[in-house]
Amino acid sequence: MACSDVCEQNTCSPAMEPQCKRRRDADTDHVSWDVLPVLSSEQCQDTQLLDAYAAPITNKRETSRLVRELTTVYPMPGLQHIKRVRACKDPGSPHPLEILVCLVRDLPDAGDERKVSISQLLSSAKVDMSGLGDPFFVKIPACPPLTRPQFELASKHWPTSFHEDKQLTVALQGQLFTHGQKAKMQEFMETAIAAAKAGLQEGMEPIGAVIVDPQTERIIAVGHDCRHGGHPLHHAVMVCIDLVAHAHGGGAHQYKYAGCWFSEPSPAPSLKKSNLLNLEVKGDFNELGSKILPYICTGYDLYVTQEPCVMCAMALVHSRIGRVFYGTASADGALGSKYKIHTQKGLNHHFEVFKGVLKQQCEDLRNMPF
Amino acid sequence: MGSESEGEFHRPSPEDIESWMQKAFDMAREALEKGEVPVGCLMVNSNQVLGKGSNEVNETKNATRHAEMVALDQVLEWCQREGRDYREVLPHTVLYVTVEPCIMCAGALRLLHVPLVVYGCKNERFGGCGSVLDIPGDELSGTGTAFESVPGFRAEEAVEMLKTFYRQDNPNAPKPKVRKD
Repeated sequence: MACSDVCEQNTCSPAMEPQCKRRRDADTDHVSWDVLPVLSSEQCQDTQLLDAYAAPITNKRETSRLVRELTTVYPMPGLQHIKRVRACKDPGSPHPLEILVCLVRDLPDAGDERKVSISQLLSSAKVDMSGLGDPFFVKIPACPPLTRPQFELASKHWPTSFHEDKQLTVALQGQLFTHGQKAKMQEFMETAIAAAKAGLQEGMEPIGAVIVDPQTERIIAVGHDCRHGGHPLHHAVMVCIDLVAHAHGGGAHQYKYAGCWFSEPSPAPSLKKSNLLNLEVKGDFNELGSKILPYICTGYDLYVTQEPCVMCAMALVHSRIGRVFYGTASADGALGSKYKIHTQKGLNHHFEVFKGVLKQQCEDLRNMPF
Repeated sequence: MGSESEGEFHRPSPEDIESWMQKAFDMAREALEKGEVPVGCLMVNSNQVLGKGSNEVNETKNATRHAEMVALDQVLEWCQREGRDYREVLPHTVLYVTVEPCIMCAGALRLLHVPLVVYGCKNERFGGCGSVLDIPGDELSGTGTAFESVPGFRAEEAVEMLKTFYRQDNPNAPKPKVRKD
């Protein structure tokens, strides 16, 4: 029974009206948009519940003994997030506290599960029943809440501890990014939309992508879909990844379209000057080059008009992309819709994904005349 | 090939599968001896090899240049040279590969309507044909066609080659994070 104060601190915070989206970008664009995180399935799922029995504590002085004895008899493994004791919801109740006795599944023979006596629950157990009232049926959250909305839903059933990721809470309210950051996002997505339109002129699908170094706010590569130009796998993201490779002195394919281009990246500012000097003294310029440029797309951001397919999403994992921002979801999309490759367990690289940047403009692209 | 490019896909015989996988393993062994990633990969259409691939990630600085992607490019180039439509050729072309294709490659194979993939060992880290995800079998109506994948061909031998390779250091890879499992 860890820290019982977590619950009280986190309930009913007036700042947490769910889903209150503020329009802070009215002056940068006529159509307002929100950028929202694309979370893992665990972070999105509804609260799973377990059946349990609780009982009022009729004598408050017995509380710590009851907690100790019940925890020994019915330890409830894997439910460390559940608080054993809760304050009674009804202020007029004669007993201020209620205690979880056991899970329904802990009992060998559940019988009529809604109506049991305390002696039935504790028949074979060595617990002194004094101070306990008649048991009643409750549902308790099966998993610790990962987000504030999950926490609020879970707490309606039974008090639950919650280790809040404050940044995630802010992100879920669509308020993670400042006005200035959103203006920059809009600029990059507008570049991606322009690329998509250029691609459409070439007979391609209207999808565009931009890879940016967020440290320097420089565009490294811009690409559009090229799948109808002889290579069916040249989706915008694949083209953009290869253009970054070109920018780094590599690359596998050539693109003859004006809408697909790259610029040389500047050295990573995170690299300390002393390291550079050290390498220069040694005269190892090859090593210098490989130290200055990030490995593939490490730390870069991708802006893409629509949610990538599974091939493109996994290509971004292999390329170690930093973050992905997309405009609108796709039916077979692999960063939120069909899969959540960026949070997929077992993979060796994970990244943050946000959706909704210039959502309407990105959606409009799909309906453009061919 | 000719007549086979239209109509239904004819599954290769067990003897054919055996002999193409033998070739894939020979390629992997050669790569290992040259200090390259020991993955052998062939794309075969009616007893003709249309594409062969090996990993080109380091030389292209492009992390998507897996052996399968390189082999697919060769098939597309072959189609262009021969004046054939890849949309007719690839649905009759089998991929033989010593290691399970990753999620990206499995997606690419679906998008190009490749009907059958025969592979050696599982790829527990990235595998897209059953290990991490099941891309060939999942419901993805907008992502090409579902395909059949046949796992486990001389799997232990394929794993052994990979282990030998990864005991050596890849200087271009980022420092691996310690896995807690």
